[in-house]
Amino acid sequence: MMHIPSLKHITKHYPIENLPDSTEFFIGYKSMLKPVVEPGQYVKKYELLAETEGVFATKLHAPVSGTIAGFQDIDGKPHIKLVNDFKEDALVFPHINPEHTEPAEILEIIKHYGIEGSGGARFPAHTKYAVNDNKVDVFIINGAECEPYLTADYVLMQNKPEALFKAIVCIQKVIRAKKVVFGIEKQHKELAPLLKKHVGLGNFPLEVKILPNTYPQGGELQLIKSVTGKELPKGIVPAQHGIVVSNVGTLWAIYNALYQNKPYIERVIALSGTLAAKKGNYNVKIGTPISFLANFSGIVDSHTKHQVIVGGPMMGRQAKHPNTPVTKGTGGILIMPEEKKNQYNCIECGYCSDACPQRLMPMEFARFAQKNDKDKLITYHLSDCIECGACAYICPSDVPLMRSIFYGKELIKGTIVI
Amino acid sequence: MNLNPFIKPKNNTVRAVMLDVIIALLPLAVVACIAYGVIALWLILTAIASCVVTDFLFNAVYAKNYTSFLDGSAIITALLLCFTLSPLTPWYVVAFGSFSAILFGKFLWGGLGKNKFNPALVGREFMVAFFTVMSSATVWVTNSMVNTKQSDLLSTGSLLANYGNNLLYKTGGALGEYSVALIFSGGLYLLIRRRISWHIPFALLTTFLFCTWLAYFYGVDFKYSSAGLLLGGLFMATDMPSSPNASQGRLYYGCIIGLVAAMFILSGIRFEYLSYSILLLNGFTPFINQIFMPRAWGKKPDYTVKAERIFFLTTAIFAMAFAVISLHYYGLIKYVVYVYIVYIILKFNFSFLKNIHNPI
Repeated sequence: MMHIPSLKHITKHYPIENLPDSTEFFIGYKSMLKPVVEPGQYVKKYELLAETEGVFATKLHAPVSGTIAGFQDIDGKPHIKLVNDFKEDALVFPHINPEHTEPAEILEIIKHYGIEGSGGARFPAHTKYAVNDNKVDVFIINGAECEPYLTADYVLMQNKPEALFKAIVCIQKVIRAKKVVFGIEKQHKELAPLLKKHVGLGNFPLEVKILPNTYPQGGELQLIKSVTGKELPKGIVPAQHGIVVSNVGTLWAIYNALYQNKPYIERVIALSGTLAAKKGNYNVKIGTPISFLANFSGIVDSHTKHQVIVGGPMMGRQAKHPNTPVTKGTGGILIMPEEKKNQYNCIECGYCSDACPQRLMPMEFARFAQKNDKDKLITYHLSDCIECGACAYICPSDVPLMRSIFYGKELIKGTIVI
Repeated sequence: MNLNPFIKPKNNTVRAVMLDVIIALLPLAVVACIAYGVIALWLILTAIASCVVTDFLFNAVYAKNYTSFLDGSAIITALLLCFTLSPLTPWYVVAFGSFSAILFGKFLWGGLGKNKFNPALVGREFMVAFFTVMSSATVWVTNSMVNTKQSDLLSTGSLLANYGNNLLYKTGGALGEYSVALIFSGGLYLLIRRRISWHIPFALLTTFLFCTWLAYFYGVDFKYSSAGLLLGGLFMATDMPSSPNASQGRLYYGCIIGLVAAMFILSGIRFEYLSYSILLLNGFTPFINQIFMPRAWGKKPDYTVKAERIFFLTTAIFAMAFAVISLHYYGLIKYVVYVYIVYIILKFNFSFLKNIHNPI
């Protein structure tokens, strides 16, 4: 694994500010979700927009009050378009007293308030915490925000440690882990005393653990290894091994649900990047289009060709459509120059293999994706790739490794047939 | 659509990699010039010119790529090739060797990074195959031509100082072998810059030294050049495209090179033991890469299957080593070169040319 410059100093000392509301919101719903609203319908703030039941049950709520203007496809994914009336006409939820809520009720609230994992994978939180009779040995809080530039989790840990610990106490009621470990990276060790102040809130052992600065420390499997020493293969459910991992952003959302009585309609994101004029950490409503954020920030040098990145610089995606919205898994919006990559031939340096946290050989993915050789891609464990981008970052030849990986995965899945 | 990541480390392009290797090799070229003056400089410049021009011409004609020769790899090939030669080598032989190194060692494989064998050593074997002067002993009689006989940097006259002086500067052998200290520091620089990994040189040198110790123990005649060994171990065997790219494989590769080189010395291969052993193992690199694939995260490999595959691979390598010994004994190595020429030209025409624009 390798070190990359963290670039967090740019925004890590900015407070969390509220972003003004956009006039339009685009709330993306995955294929499993069913919209419960119709075009032209008026919705109050916090009103349910779409939901799905079952194990992966999750819900989407209106971030503002206004009118449903219809449905729109953005990059091939369906989105609900909501036009803000700026009346802040909010739905009132029944009062919750988190200190006296039963575990089952907490799970219900987490489900009804649409809490999803905020680190990017967006796994429904209640499913993760519904451990039933499984013994949980360790509950890991992922405070290793290993993506450069992103400081959303950092500012939460810095400014809202008490809220995070209150959320931990509530989750602990449900999962009853023997031990809670709050993992932060060594480069943020100044947070440790701040966090340790609140350790006494719960009546369970809680440890603040300093993790190495390597990328990707915040990857679930790498984090579990750093904390417990267990090397779990990709695709396994950590709860089966007595491990539950939650992101700092998820804790914040749970705190907002239980203590502020707010469904998951906003999250903290970092607005940064080399071309962003106004930078900082903002409370942003889910569904805010990136064009709104880009306009809010402004671009330093408008002559340079720029691109807006949803997520971090290592794993984020370039937003093709200006209406691409902030989701529950978005940790940051970056405005970056569009740089031309200087492609050389692969020189077999092996840097990609050395950098790969999953110990794979990414150059072989490039080789065999080009040949459409599905069997070889499987032999080289392409399915174990976590798409962290470390290989493409370190590659001196700019071999299209990520392209090969995404393409190869589709080959294996069978979504592309040769 | 642009894909992640959207940041890149500074100064980590192929050119930067090549520049680092050139930086590591340059002091050796300077020492060669101190030792043999204009003769050495002329040979080195001839090699560089021949390599760069060949690289440019073929890339321009076949790949319509007019800038790729600037990546610096041709200069490295030229320097490494020169470093294995006697200063008495005729300039046209050097020019031919450099041309072959780039054409047959690199370009016909598809260009930068796609070569299966170390281009400099391929160039060297071409020179040996086509010019008898290369394998004559007279080409190594160079004492009378030395400009600077010895260094007096540590001039106390004690045994230790003499030893130190010899490490710093000692003429004898090929152009790149005059300063063990500088070879070592060049290698160290590459290690620190992470352009080579410690595995190959470490494994190669320890196995080889173990063999020399064994030979000494049994009183067998065992002649080798320690500077040449260091040069080969640090710069030739670690050539990125032709060496394995995972640490376990690198250790195995280094080990076997050391063993095979010792075997070659014992079988009477005087000058070519290291280049033969490196080239031989270059050929097995794809298999080594496959067998020593790193253990993927959370996976449990089948060690019995792996052991079996390692056994068969090692057997195959040693069988090939014995074949090389026999071919060398009967003076047939040049026919291997001829076969190689036919093979690589056919392969280029029917396969590699089609992929010449692919990065891998």
